[in-house]
Order: sequence, then structure tokens, then C-alpha cells
Amino acid sequence: MKFIYRILLSALLVGITSCTDVIEVDVPEGPIRLTIEASLDWEKGTTGNDQTILLSTSTPFFESQNNTAVTGATVQVRNNDSGAVFTFQDQNDGSYITSSFIPVMGNSYTLEIQYEDEQYTATETMLPVSEFSSITQSREDGEDDEALEVNVSFQDPADIENYYFLRFQSRNDRLPELFYIKDEFVDGNEVTFYYEKLEDDQDNIKEFEPGDTVDIILLGISEDYHNYLRLLVEQFESAGNPFSATPVALVGNCINVDNPDNTPYGYFRVSEKVASNFTFE
Amino acid sequence: MREKKKRPGPIRLLMGLCLLASSFTINAQNNYTISGNVKDEINGETLFGTSIFLKGTTIGAITNEYGFYSITAPQGSYMLVFSHLGYKEISMQVVLDRNQKIDIEIAESSTQLNEVEVTAEEPERAILRKPEMSVSKLNIKTVKQMPVVLGELDVIKSLQILPGVTSNGEGSSGFHVRGGAVDQNLVLLDEAIIYNTSHMLGFFSVFNADAVKDLKLYKGGIPAKFGGRVSSVLDVRQKDGNSKNFALTGGIGVISSRLAAEGPMFNDRGSFLVAGRGSYAHLFLKLAGEKNSVSFYDLNLKTNYQLNDKNKLFLSGYFGRDVFDFDGSFSSSYGNASGNLRWNHIFNDRLFSNLSLIYSKYDYELGIEDFEFDWISSIKNYNAKYDLKYYFSDAFKLDFGISTIKYEFDPGQIKPTGPNSSINELQLDQKRALESAAYINAEHKLTDRLTAQYGLRFSHFNRMGGQPLSEYANDQPLTYNPTLRFYQRTDPIGETVYKKNESIETFSNFEPRVSLAYQLNDYSSVKFGYSRAAQYIHLLSNTSSVTPLDVWTPSGKYIKPQLSDQYAIGYFRNFKDKMYSMEVEAYYKTVDNRIDYIDGSDLIGNNTIEREILNGESRAYGLELLFRKNEGPLTGWISYTLSKSEQRTFGGNAGGPGINNGDWYNTPHDRTHDISITGAYQFNEKWSFGANAIFQTGRPVTYPNGQYQYEGISIASYSERNADRLPAYHRLDVSATYKPNKRPDKKWKGEWVFGIYNVLNRKNAASISFGQNFETGANEATRTAIFGIVPSITYNFKF
Repeated sequence: MKFIYRILLSALLVGITSCTDVIEVDVPEGPIRLTIEASLDWEKGTTGNDQTILLSTSTPFFESQNNTAVTGATVQVRNNDSGAVFTFQDQNDGSYITSSFIPVMGNSYTLEIQYEDEQYTATETMLPVSEFSSITQSREDGEDDEALEVNVSFQDPADIENYYFLRFQSRNDRLPELFYIKDEFVDGNEVTFYYEKLEDDQDNIKEFEPGDTVDIILLGISEDYHNYLRLLVEQFESAGNPFSATPVALVGNCINVDNPDNTPYGYFRVSEKVASNFTFE
Repeated sequence: MREKKKRPGPIRLLMGLCLLASSFTINAQNNYTISGNVKDEINGETLFGTSIFLKGTTIGAITNEYGFYSITAPQGSYMLVFSHLGYKEISMQVVLDRNQKIDIEIAESSTQLNEVEVTAEEPERAILRKPEMSVSKLNIKTVKQMPVVLGELDVIKSLQILPGVTSNGEGSSGFHVRGGAVDQNLVLLDEAIIYNTSHMLGFFSVFNADAVKDLKLYKGGIPAKFGGRVSSVLDVRQKDGNSKNFALTGGIGVISSRLAAEGPMFNDRGSFLVAGRGSYAHLFLKLAGEKNSVSFYDLNLKTNYQLNDKNKLFLSGYFGRDVFDFDGSFSSSYGNASGNLRWNHIFNDRLFSNLSLIYSKYDYELGIEDFEFDWISSIKNYNAKYDLKYYFSDAFKLDFGISTIKYEFDPGQIKPTGPNSSINELQLDQKRALESAAYINAEHKLTDRLTAQYGLRFSHFNRMGGQPLSEYANDQPLTYNPTLRFYQRTDPIGETVYKKNESIETFSNFEPRVSLAYQLNDYSSVKFGYSRAAQYIHLLSNTSSVTPLDVWTPSGKYIKPQLSDQYAIGYFRNFKDKMYSMEVEAYYKTVDNRIDYIDGSDLIGNNTIEREILNGESRAYGLELLFRKNEGPLTGWISYTLSKSEQRTFGGNAGGPGINNGDWYNTPHDRTHDISITGAYQFNEKWSFGANAIFQTGRPVTYPNGQYQYEGISIASYSERNADRLPAYHRLDVSATYKPNKRPDKKWKGEWVFGIYNVLNRKNAASISFGQNFETGANEATRTAIFGIVPSITYNFKF
């Protein structure tokens, strides 16, 4: 009997290299549009009278965003249940403020903006949120066993559909960490989320250190706003990655009544909010 | 929408076939039949695609998948020739005065370890006359000739340098055929359906080159015996195992190792093959302090037993698995498992049959430690099929058979794994379906120059009950919101529970398949093909590349079966006595009921997929050119594909304009140009060289067209779907083989293979992502390139 024995010896001289680098890309230029950041957040235990709405314009993708403030618009919010109207004052820096807003849980509100002869509107309902049940720090949880993370827990009420927006902002960093949450899989449970930063030399990201402070807010939101945020966050974090969905235009709840094709960007939300901050020890 | 096309009545077609068949048998009185099996002399493997013909006549046949052939000719004396590329041609004088059985073993034309060979094709006379077109065949020796990345042979990557086949970029699973999607390919390993063709997200294929005998890719003109997918069929067959000697083959590499054992058993009445493969790069990564790890392994098994002259049993199996572990915080594993028991029965010298019982399963598991839960999904199928081939005469051969597949879909279950888990247990609705088919196909030599292959497949799909189904007002799971201008999910108004013995929906389709070959002269022919195919199960994937966790779903109330019509025309020509050959093909393909996903669709863990999709259509057309040099010290080919693949999705029942305003848009696998050049050069007895050059138009992507400030971050705005493109992809690979000394008296033979993948170290963008710099907040475009230059060195030896 003849034996055939064959051994294949293969050696790689250079390892597998999956590398990333920043490159120049020509991107298309779409129309410039009005952006509405109308976030009426009512912090638990406050009157909620002071509110700000931000208006700006979009820019080409790689342009700096210094001069995008929109001034000269008229901005008001109407309570559709009580009929009360709250007018926001133009601060000439893109912000419009009021100190007389009256938030009512479960009431429906309509935003009305008049800008450059076009009227924009949006409607949203005030939704409640749960208190934080705990905010702690740890090292062993999270993705990395040694890096510091902050853990935030809250109790989801059972048997009702709830949607949340959780936002972490480290005071040392420019960019926040955003979570969109629905209670479909966690209904009625105590839910915990963590924010941990992993060291990344290329992006200059550093782990949390004792002394760092993180601002944390949690909002009760509508299903539509949850869906909007889900796309926003997914696309912000991973647009272009082959294992993420093809990026698409975000559709908010603001419409242009006079010229529907000139759809504004942004969202009008009215939410109950809990806010806290945490300093690592 | 398009008008429904009128099709010839299938019953009439069938009757016509039977009439034709009977007329041939009547005229066959003075004819005799030679039948038998063709095997490799060295290892006893049966040979598929060997050409057998009677010299000086146009009478001939090709061995089938099991090495069987049957030739019928008028009484007389003939020179019988057995010819198979890469093997020595055998001729023998036969006196045909009775039916006879001739089993033969043929020997390879060269005993070199790494033989220079381009493709295994039948000799010119056969290929020109055979109506088969749009088929790519590769034998393992050819695959072994190409430069490889990471020192591991990959049959799927080799297919991608042939015209009409592309990948979706480095690091993505699956392959695309003539503008089709990954889930439109039927991939069979010893007839069992393989649902995922890649290990490590596309870096390796699931096919172990040591265990594979041959593979055949049907890009069009799919024979009636295959069905269930609209784009292509990749038919991969495992080796039977060496029936002459015990043999051990293996390989040790840095990334992975292989070992295969094969040999005769049951007193030479059968043989076996066991092949295993595993990667261990993760061990080195662990040593290097890398916390994440990726690994794969697979196992191939095959054994056969010859009961007697007329009956043979085969048992084959495959098991493969990928394991990902991300520093203990989450882990996932997935893979295929399949088994097939086959029984070949030869009724007589003209009627061959095979019965197969097949099981196949793909499952995906994800464990998230941080949140203490497991996610599991799977698809299983049980398949019984019975295929027969009747060799009526030299001019008329008939294939017919039946098949039935029972599917079980488990789209997902969530199980909490710890007492502190905040995740509730969840089971998405399990689905069941039965896909059955019957087919008949004739290979018919109409004149000496004109050969036709025509057939009909009848398929039936029963989406079985045993699950609840959501009901929506006006049967609209989603509606267009004209004010906000987007598709909105509708809340179900109720639920219908279907009992196990009820059908939710049934579909049936007639699928005609026709090809014609007209031989213009001794060196050229034209061919035409038309095929219709139905696809009843769909892979749900809204990402640019498919991922292992994508879930299959059956057709039913809201998802209709995909139906494709493909027309192809080709011109085939040999030059300079087969030294060169050229194949030109053009195709046009449409697919009805191709689903696409609404903006912002969410497919993961979703029980109501109907609320995320719209029914659309797709079309693809192209021109393919393959020019080959088959002989001499320099062999190789140039392949060029010019093509377009796009889709269109209207709002339909949901109202509104549809996806991308109802306009045509590029599919993610559209490639305008795709060129590859592959060459092998035998410099002298010691040195040979190989090279690949590839150029491809970039993958369609959607780039941002602006930005705005929201929540303190810059949000990108996007417009048309897939309207932009990644930069063009190109790459050059080279390899050199050195055989140190060739002393014939030495049993021990060795060779060095040096390879360099991506010699020019081009950073081909696998993706470009857009985002804000974490530090400066400025927007930037980040390119991910997967392989730069990758040199490898391999030592092969055998004794």
C-alpha cells in the first residue's frame, strides 16, 4: 500500500492588517434646509417654564458650522388641549426662548414657525419618565474589564409601552453618547445601561479617570421619536459600515406647510426629563 | 407594472415530450448501448464530465455526477474514445453487436504535483454542440493554481475571477451572480443546501479544497432539475474517497490547518473520506494580548458502498462552525450542518436513478454577557428527491424527477441566562413550509448541428399553519404618511391563529427552461437560453453585505415568491486548434417580487417583518467576455463583464411613491466594469509563476449630501439610495512555485510556493464611513481597507 503524506506549511510574513485612515472624498451637495431643534424637556420637580428652541440651517457636509444660526423667525407653541399659546423670543443667535411655558403631562402641543414666508409645524405629546434608581461606577462590567464605566438604572413600568432617550455627556469631551431604548424585551424590569470609553489612539479617545464628570439625562419619548433617534444614532455611529443598513434621510415630525418639498430637518419633542451627573471616584 | 406574459401550456409541452420520446424508441431497433462508469486510475474517484464518443461520428455522451454514461449507436464497429481534460485520452476498438458494459479507469496526463491547467472542459466538439451555456466549471487543480490570500485555497474566490461573478468586497460573505443577490444563489454541497458559504465573514469559504471533487456554477440556463433560487446554482460535490489506497493529505498553516484521510473499506466495495479543518489564529491573538478572537472549524465526511453492479449507497456529511468571542462581553457562533444518504440504482443500461434523503441546518447563536441573554435562530430543512435519467438514444436523453423540501424556520428566541438579566424571554413565531417540485428535461439533438435542451419544472409552495399571523386594517401592514412623507408601520388590529393542518397560503409556478446550441462550423457555435425560476424563501437583510445573523423567511401572505426570467445569448469559438478559446455571452434578467426595506427598517428580533418591507422588482443585464489560452507554457484567461443591476420598489398596497421615490436605483452589487486577468507561466522545470490582476467599479453606496446640528452633534443628511460609489477596486497578486530538485528515484517530493496578495499594497476601500472626529468635532470620511500587501510562503510535499 502506498502512503501519500502531504504537509502544507504556510507561514505569513505579515499579519492580517485591517486598517482605517481618513481620506478626502467628494460628496454630493444637497439643498440647504431649516433645522429645528425644539426640545421642550420638563425636568421632574421643576416648573418647566424656561424653554429654548434652536433654529439653524444645514450646510454642505464638510463645511464648518459657525454661521448657521437662523434669526428673524417667529416661533410659538400651542397647547392643543388648553388652547394656551407660548411665544418664543428671538435672541438673534439662533435661539428662541420663553419663560412662561406650562407643561402638562399627556397634553398635546403644536409647534408653529414662520420663516422666510414659509410656515413649519409639528405636533407631539408630553410623555412621562421614570426616576433613576441608581447611578454607580464599576470596572468589571462593560466591554473592558479594567476600564471605568458609569452604570445607570431605572425601573420600567410594567404593561405599558415605554420609549426612552438616554444621553451621556462627559464634560471633557465634545461628543455625547446616545441611547434609544424601547421596553419591548425588558417590559416591567429594572433596566441598566453603561457608558464606558475604550482607549483609542487613532481617535484620541481616553478611558474615564477618577475625577471625570458625566452629565446624564433620561427622557420619556414617543414611539415615532424613538424610531427617529434609532436611525439617527445608528447612522451617526456606523453609517457606511458594510454591516449597517444603507443610510437614509431622517424624517422628523416637522413639516413645511407652504412648500412640502422643502422639508425641515430636526424634531419637535415634549418630554419629561430626569437629569443627574456623576463624578468618577 | 408589467403585463403578465403568456406562456405555452405546460400540459401540452409534456405531451409533446412523451410523443417525441416514444418515436425514438420505435426507431431504435438496430441500436445497441454501451454503458458503464469512468474513474480515476490513481484514486478511484468517479469522474464527472468525461466525454465519451465514437470517433468519426457525432455520437457521444458525458458522464454524470456519479461517473455513469450510456451511449447508444447503430450496430457496427467503432473507435470508442474517453477524453477528459488533464487526463490521457483512451481509445479502444469496439464491435457493437450487443448491449455492453465498459467500466474504465483513466490516468492523469501528468504526475506533477502542481500541474498547470486552466479549466476542465470537454473537448471542443462536445462543448460547442452542448446547449449548456452560462456555466462556469472549476476543478480543484485549477483553484490550486491561483495565488491565494492567507495561504488557504478558496473555491468561491476563484469563481469570482470568472465573468458574471463578483463578491461584495473584501470581508463580506457570499457572492453575486449576474447582478443577483446572495440569497438568490442555490448552494449545494453533495445536494444539501448550504445557507452560509463563508467562514470568518467571507475571508474563507466553507468548502475545504481537500474534500471537494468539483464544482459547477450555473449562471443561467439552469437545468430543470434545480429550482428554488432565481439567480444561480453552485453545485459542489465532495470526493468519494480514494478507493485504491489509504491516503493522508494535510496542511499546516499559520491561520489554519487541514487533515484528510481517505481509503478503501468494506473489502474494496467502498471507500471513505474524512476531512477536517480548523483555524487557530485566535490562539496566537490570545498570546499577543488580543482580547477578541475569531475561529472556525469544519468537518467533511463521505463514504460509499457498492452493493452490487446496479446499486450503490453514499453517505455524506458536513459540519462547520464559526466562533467569535469579544473579550467575554459577547460571543457568537454559527454554522451549517448537513447530511445526505443517497442510493444510486441502475435499472438497465439506459435508465439511471438516484434517491436522496437530505438534512440541512443553519443556526446562529449570540450570547450577550453584559445583558445576560442568548439569542438563537435557525433554519432547518428535510429534503427527499428522486432523479432519473433515461438515455433513449444518442439524440434524445430525458431527465425527470421529483423533490420535496420541508422547511422549519425559527427566526429567533431570546433566553435570559442569569438571574439578574433584565431581558424577558421571547420566542418569535416559528414558521413551516413545504416546497415540492416535479420536473422533466430533454436533451435533444435535432440535427447534426442543432441541439436543444428543453424542460419544465412545476413547483409548489405551501406555507403551513401552526402559527398566529397579525391582521391589519385594509391588509396594510404599513402605510404611507403623505404629510411627513415616509412609510409608517400600522398597528395590528388582531391575530389569526392558523392550525398546523391549515395552509396560510399556497403558490405554484410553471418554470420552463430552454437552451439551444447551433454549431456554425468545426470551431464555433451560437447558443440561446431562456429560463424561468421561482424562489419561495428569502433572506431578510437590509445591510450592504449580508451578515451571518440575517434570517430566512418563507413566502406567505405578505411576501410573494420571487420569479425570474432570464434570456441569454452566446457565441463560442476556438482558435488555432483549441490553443485559444473565446466565449461571449449577453444576458437580460428580470426578477418580480423582489422585496426591499423601507427607510429605517428594523429587522432584528422582529415578528412582523411585513411592516418593514415593500414588494418591488429588479433587473440586470450585461455582457460577458472570456478569452482563454489553453495550451503552451503560458496559460490563463482574460475575463470582462459589463453589467447593470438595479431595482425599483413601488408603494403598492401601502400607497405612496415607494422606495427612492419609485425610481430605479442601483443594487449594492451593481458593478459596471469587472475585469480580471489570470495567468500561469511554466518557466522551466524548477520554476513556475502565477498572477491575477483585478479591476472593478466601486460598490454603490449612499454618501451624505449635507449636515445639520442636532443634540450637539453633526447629523448627516442623505438623498438617493445607492447613488454614489466607493473608489474603484483593483489588485494584483503574484505567486511563484519552486521545485528544488527533481530526482525521480526519490519518493519525497517537495515544492515552495511564494505568494504575494495585493502586491501594490493598494488600500482598497471595503467601506467609507462618515462621522465626526471625536476630538475636533470636524466631519471626516474614514476608509476601512482590509488587506494591504500580504506575502505568504508555503511548503508542500508528498511522499
